[in-house]
Amino acid sequence: MSEPEEELEIQALQRELDDAFATTRPRPPFEDELWLRMQSSRPATSRLRDAIAGFLQGIREVPAVPAAAVAALLVVVIGAGTVALSGLGRGGGGASTATQYNGSAPNQLTAGTFGRLPTPVFNSSSKSATAPNVTAGGQADLGAAQLTWTGKLDLTISSAPVFRYREPTTKDADQFASALGAVLRDRPSGFFGMYTATDYTLKVRRTVQSPPSSPAYFIFASATMPPVEAAGAGPQDLADIFLAQHSLSPQWRYTVSVDSTNDPVRVRYERQFDAPGYGTAYLVDPNGNRYGLEVDLSANRPVVVSGLLPTNLDQADYKIVTSEEAIRSALASSVAAPAASGAAVPAIQLNKAELVYVLVPAGDHSFYEPAFLFSGEYQMNGQTLTKRVLVPAVDPSQRNP
Amino acid sequence: MPADRPPFEDLYREYLGRIYAYVRAQVGTSADAEDIAAQVFMNAYQAYERFEPRNTTPAAWLFRIARNATLDHFRAQGRRDRLRRTIEHQPSPEGDPASQAEERIQYRALLAHVAGLPERQRDAISLRHSGLQFDEVGKLMGCSEDAAKMLYHRAVRALKDAVRKAEA
Repeated sequence: MSEPEEELEIQALQRELDDAFATTRPRPPFEDELWLRMQSSRPATSRLRDAIAGFLQGIREVPAVPAAAVAALLVVVIGAGTVALSGLGRGGGGASTATQYNGSAPNQLTAGTFGRLPTPVFNSSSKSATAPNVTAGGQADLGAAQLTWTGKLDLTISSAPVFRYREPTTKDADQFASALGAVLRDRPSGFFGMYTATDYTLKVRRTVQSPPSSPAYFIFASATMPPVEAAGAGPQDLADIFLAQHSLSPQWRYTVSVDSTNDPVRVRYERQFDAPGYGTAYLVDPNGNRYGLEVDLSANRPVVVSGLLPTNLDQADYKIVTSEEAIRSALASSVAAPAASGAAVPAIQLNKAELVYVLVPAGDHSFYEPAFLFSGEYQMNGQTLTKRVLVPAVDPSQRNP
Repeated sequence: MPADRPPFEDLYREYLGRIYAYVRAQVGTSADAEDIAAQVFMNAYQAYERFEPRNTTPAAWLFRIARNATLDHFRAQGRRDRLRRTIEHQPSPEGDPASQAEERIQYRALLAHVAGLPERQRDAISLRHSGLQFDEVGKLMGCSEDAAKMLYHRAVRALKDAVRKAEA
């Protein structure tokens, strides 16, 4: 077996291991059985103390609660504490209940609830917390460049939400396919499954660790896929209709871009996240390209549809770096002088910066973390190119090194 | 309870599955895995007041307890004897209520191969695929991050060989 083949085999095995560990769970009643055993093993006084402490912590997180209201609520918490003595329910009573729900409104948790976060890896050769990823839009990575910052980045926020999802399972993928009316045909390596419907094949994929890629579905139309009929409709209308017909319309915030320069025409629904105090921030891949859902149309027929597999998101606020720190990180890859080889090192002015979100895979839970995307245009061989630099936004104290 | 320490139940709900999978990959039966996972969380519950989140992550803390509990399990029973007994007397899947109840284990054969690896290789794979970073794996195993990576990659190759041999 050749080395690349062996490497592929190892990667497939690693994906199987990921899946094996993510799907191996105790029988369902075990979780509650054990929790009740643990509760009943504790002295009643300590359970009451925890219930009150958890409740008071919740109160501290609400600004300017009137004293009378606190007094009234204390009466309630003593009652709640008494209930906790029974060993039933959530003994803590705190504010970090992790009930999940679908769609565009993630579950708000308390600050730092996810603990220290994994650091985004923008470049497979570097895992440094400050090492930025430098890419040239539409071109290969140019590597070394003399970077300067001439733009304006006035941040008025000191924290931003981080979103977390539990890694989907084979069962989730099967349910997703089943809701579309597709039937399982195979479980090819690297995918939860391959499914078929009347006029298309569906593949569902888990989170890819490297390069980071969100869990996704792919619809490949068969020759029998009919065109979308709608008089006078443009590509976006056609894509909207197809998605609505298949209950695949995005449940998250997005903007749409249409690329009609080639066949197929690409209709892209670019996902955004809400960052309170800042506005909306796009989801981007490690190269700074926005993504979310894409419908490729040829002669009004959807030929390929690829989108994010729906996941439930939890949300928690994390401290982020200042504008100055972000700019410093972005310029960290700059070189002061021409490379040793004597090759010309382009001098590039970065003059735009925006808050974005990037996927950070982390085993059975993965994160969408804020980052800063710096960019600037430059000329090379008569072409205008865009240089992009991504740097993590979450404060290093909140991240694993 | 310090403000930066989450309620224990949050940790419990978040990590029970991962800890169980970690233990299950190393022991022969789901019943043993449940016993050890229960012991892990009982111990963690008792010790939670002493847990200091500034010094370690909840994941590293819980996996340290789980690792010690698993090692204790093997020490008490004798791993070799236990494996032999498991192989010789393990009831068929149909006859084992715990196995029947454990509907969500989909990679039984693969995990059996993991369980058959040498202790440190098994540990490296189990910790890594339970979601720990290599630096955390290294700390738990008493080695550097680089050594943990090397050990892990050796373990995956050994696992690949074992799987291939079994399929041949």
